[in-house]
Amino acid sequence: MRWRHTVFASLILALAPIAAATDEAGVSVRDAWVREAPPGVSTMAGYMVLQNKTSRPQVLVAASSSGFETVMIHRSIAKQGMTGMEHTPQIELLPNASLLFAPGGYHLMLLNPKRRLHAGDRVEIALEFRGGLVVPVAYEVRK
Amino acid sequence: MLTAVVLAALLAGVWLAATYRENGSRAILLPDQVMTLFPAPKPLAAFAFKDHEDRVFDLSRLRGKWSFLFFGYTHCPDICPTTLATLARAHENIAKSAAGAKDVQFVFISVDPNRDTAGELRQYVTYFDTAFLGVTGDDAQLGNLAAQLGAAYQLAITPGMENYPVYHTAAVFLVDPRARYHAVFAPSLDAEGISRRFEVLRELEGPKAT
Repeated sequence: MRWRHTVFASLILALAPIAAATDEAGVSVRDAWVREAPPGVSTMAGYMVLQNKTSRPQVLVAASSSGFETVMIHRSIAKQGMTGMEHTPQIELLPNASLLFAPGGYHLMLLNPKRRLHAGDRVEIALEFRGGLVVPVAYEVRK
Repeated sequence: MLTAVVLAALLAGVWLAATYRENGSRAILLPDQVMTLFPAPKPLAAFAFKDHEDRVFDLSRLRGKWSFLFFGYTHCPDICPTTLATLARAHENIAKSAAGAKDVQFVFISVDPNRDTAGELRQYVTYFDTAFLGVTGDDAQLGNLAAQLGAAYQLAITPGMENYPVYHTAAVFLVDPRARYHAVFAPSLDAEGISRRFEVLRELEGPKAT
């Protein structure tokens, strides 16, 4: 029976780092996409559904990508009957809270793509949270 | 006997369809959060823009067609492409309707003429829909039409800042074939919400509006 214990212990040892990693990376990102830009346009927007699956509040403080010159967290807002954008320095996600990045609201503003992105392409953007958690996400380019 | 029954059923069907359509029309044209319909459409006064082919775009270009107007700018990453993609789908829906889209045009009005040249506008609007028109003008002309429609825009041009913020009304304005401001669609917009209401409005107003 001794070998069984050994296997079991090894399994636990092997799983431990995975469990820790899951807890650390417990911010899930679904439906991540970037709208394809019309020709000649170098400002794009990225959208997604973020969910904090950890037991602590998570604060999104930045996003970065080698695919773009600049990535900023923006929000489309209404102001005196007009719509515009404002830079959002940070967004706090409470435990289990979901946050929608969608047209007309929060979005990742993507400036000057390094290469022209076409529908079907994928581009990676890293979401950075306070405390050092970085979640890399592949965004699908859609028309 | 059978013929009479069939005839009666047919007549009942026609009556039902007519009633349904009328009630459906009325229901759909009651004031709602999507479309505001003006009981007395407001005739527009003269303005002068250039379109993306560098042709004059003035009041005469609004006559004889229903025109959907949207103010924006091409460096806009979120609201403008979202709205233009929605309008392209609305256009598709209208084109598939019985009355078609021959009497309909979609006009993107750039409030950022510094950056949006005719060439840029052509590339931009035709990406969404080859039938779309891009127009722009100087501040006086933009302000003129915007004021007539109750729209607003503001450019926060900062020297040395490539991506200066631009604010603009996100509604879609509907001008009838007599160049009268007829209705406005409030954001957030969806293609079916626009095309269904428009098709009913056009059917009801058709003879009066042209």
